Amino acid sequence: MTDDYRGNIMSIKILIKNASIYDGIKAKPFKADLYIKDGIIEDIDNYIKADSKDIRIIDAEGKALLPGLVDMHVHLRDPGFEEKETIESGAAAALAGGVTTLVCMPNTRPVLDEPALVEYVIDRGRDTGINIYPAAAMTRGLEGSQITSMGLLAEAGAAGFSDDGKAVADARLMFEIMRYSRQWQKPLILHEEVYSFSRSGLVHEGKYSTSLGLEGISSLSDDLMISRDIVLARESGARIHITHISTRGAVEMIRQAKKEGVDISCDVTAHHLFFDDSCLESFNTNFKVKPPIRSAEDRAALIGGIKDGTIDAIISDHAPHLDTEKNTTFRLAQFGTIGLETLFGAAYTSLCRDDGLDAVQLVKLLTSSPAKLMGFDAGTLKKGKRADAVLADLEAGYKVKAEDIVSKSKNSAFIGQQLYGSIIYTISNGKIMYESG
Amino acid sequence: MLSKSSILSIADISAEDVMQIMETAISFRDISKREIKKVPTLRGKTVVNLFFEPSTRTRTSFEVAAKRLSADMINFTAGSSSLKKGESIMDTVRTILAMQVDLLVMRHSHSGAAGMVDSMIEIPVINAGDGKHQHPTQALLDLFTIKEKFGRFEGLKVAIAGDFLNSRVARSDMMLFEEMGMDVTLVAPTMLLPQDFSGFKIKSSIDDVIESTDILYMLRMQFERQDRKFYPSVEEYNRFLSLNGSRIEKMKDGAAVMHPGPVNRGIEITDEVMGGRKSPYKNVLIEDQVTSGVAVRMALLYHILGQ
Repeated sequence: MTDDYRGNIMSIKILIKNASIYDGIKAKPFKADLYIKDGIIEDIDNYIKADSKDIRIIDAEGKALLPGLVDMHVHLRDPGFEEKETIESGAAAALAGGVTTLVCMPNTRPVLDEPALVEYVIDRGRDTGINIYPAAAMTRGLEGSQITSMGLLAEAGAAGFSDDGKAVADARLMFEIMRYSRQWQKPLILHEEVYSFSRSGLVHEGKYSTSLGLEGISSLSDDLMISRDIVLARESGARIHITHISTRGAVEMIRQAKKEGVDISCDVTAHHLFFDDSCLESFNTNFKVKPPIRSAEDRAALIGGIKDGTIDAIISDHAPHLDTEKNTTFRLAQFGTIGLETLFGAAYTSLCRDDGLDAVQLVKLLTSSPAKLMGFDAGTLKKGKRADAVLADLEAGYKVKAEDIVSKSKNSAFIGQQLYGSIIYTISNGKIMYESG
Repeated sequence: MLSKSSILSIADISAEDVMQIMETAISFRDISKREIKKVPTLRGKTVVNLFFEPSTRTRTSFEVAAKRLSADMINFTAGSSSLKKGESIMDTVRTILAMQVDLLVMRHSHSGAAGMVDSMIEIPVINAGDGKHQHPTQALLDLFTIKEKFGRFEGLKVAIAGDFLNSRVARSDMMLFEEMGMDVTLVAPTMLLPQDFSGFKIKSSIDDVIESTDILYMLRMQFERQDRKFYPSVEEYNRFLSLNGSRIEKMKDGAAVMHPGPVNRGIEITDEVMGGRKSPYKNVLIEDQVTSGVAVRMALLYHILGQ
């Protein structure tokens, strides 16, 4: 029978009863029923009566109903690295993590720097049942030397522009990209790194890089580039979004720039919120990420930035890699951890359970706030909107295990961690696309 | 018995272990002075020197130690080129394990490599140097050398001088010397010190410590190995950080000079200090360290495989 609710039948009706609803807008959760019909949220009310027999009724007493999560930074690796992840396997991992809308990064092979490639990802994404929006490259081949056809890429459906994985070292070129981007009304998603500071570094430069003898990446690597781009954004009037910030300096500079009216926003990954560099003592290469997991002091500053609104979104920076690329020495291992499936649990555990953040705030950072930054009609639970929703049990704990991972790659920094906030159902475009257990 | 069967870092060795190793090393030192320098203790055991990075001294020292204990010693030197050809470390290790060996002595140019291998195999591993991380047997042999010379550790002033950024020896020595109650000072310019050795006394010139230190431990300075050549010149190094004749003359009576070898003559230590057949200064303990190395490594092999 369950297939009736998943398949492409004309009318799919789901009634979720007695949920504690975090709608991505209101300051408090409220208890209500939510009715989904034909892909749309038909009604949200104190009591909704099931008016026909073909309604799937879910009793959500004691559970939290959230908008489908919006992850604005994912590497789907497709085209080109399909052995690590495909658009389909990435979408399945997203659904297991409650993510129904995502932005995928253009560092594929070939790089998403031509309209046809953007269209390819959009077409393939359409069949997955979730909402996949590619970001296109800012420079051709991510080489940092020539601006891509940003206008044509925007028309092809690029949700934003990014050279993620790299920073544009050429300051004048970055300035021109910023000025030109204003015409297309799409955000620039900036990976910030000064190569003369990061060099062949592997981990945060600090106490642990020192004792473990691992080459360090100074916080100045991020901070210098962020300060440059704030200056350029102030001058150009561009909207810039700094992705995966990791340092105390970044939080402070962005906080100040916002006060001064610079059109700037930023996000942080769940793993930078969850871990500090003491995790490196295990030499576990799943902790080799870029930017590196930084000190306890930096982590505290990131949490401060979440609480005072400096940070606008939480992302996974889902970065799949093969076992053979991770199961080696720190120097040889690739940078990155997967994170779609643990995005909510990791963020909820570190911020709400351990650090007292109101879950309403967390939900906004994972839904309506990134949707607004990207200009997506997503991330809220409102009558008449597309029905993307997640039912979660905030009290339920679970241990992350390699064998439970849905993603094609298993390189999760969270393996072995106890997380809270398990996903029970993920509904995307009005259909139940994931059901736990 | 030692507290852990694998020796990956000084952190793996308790103070009690250290005492045990020192104790055993004394008797093995004496064996090496006999005419028949061999005991049957580890007969039938197979030890593999698995070196992914070229080394003569450490490899030879382990080989001599194993042979004096009658273990079979196999040298497996995997050039880093075979790694580039795609053979992973684990593939190499699997090949060796299939030959039913009892202990791996491993060196690799990447920090954490010995620990990674250790976590995946059953037999014990001795880390003979992993990248810039640790070189625990060097620290133990240094400690044994100090014990032989001074008869104590508590309160001894040790100044370690040179390139800390790239030195695994420094990381192991600092940890062990502190643990044994010595008073450790680091002598290095800013660009040769990693970010965070806070908690240690730091001086920028050898002249700041030369008159007061009991032990001057000189590190290797490899200009060609610097990740990026931030240190200005050999001339600059000689002026502030090298040990020369006039400096060694200023050392206290009974003070000692140590170095993990091989010495870069003319860089960290001058020819006049090193001398020809032997150093004209009898407080230069560099050869004593080599001798201690065999005794200490025999002691380690004995504690890991012989009991």
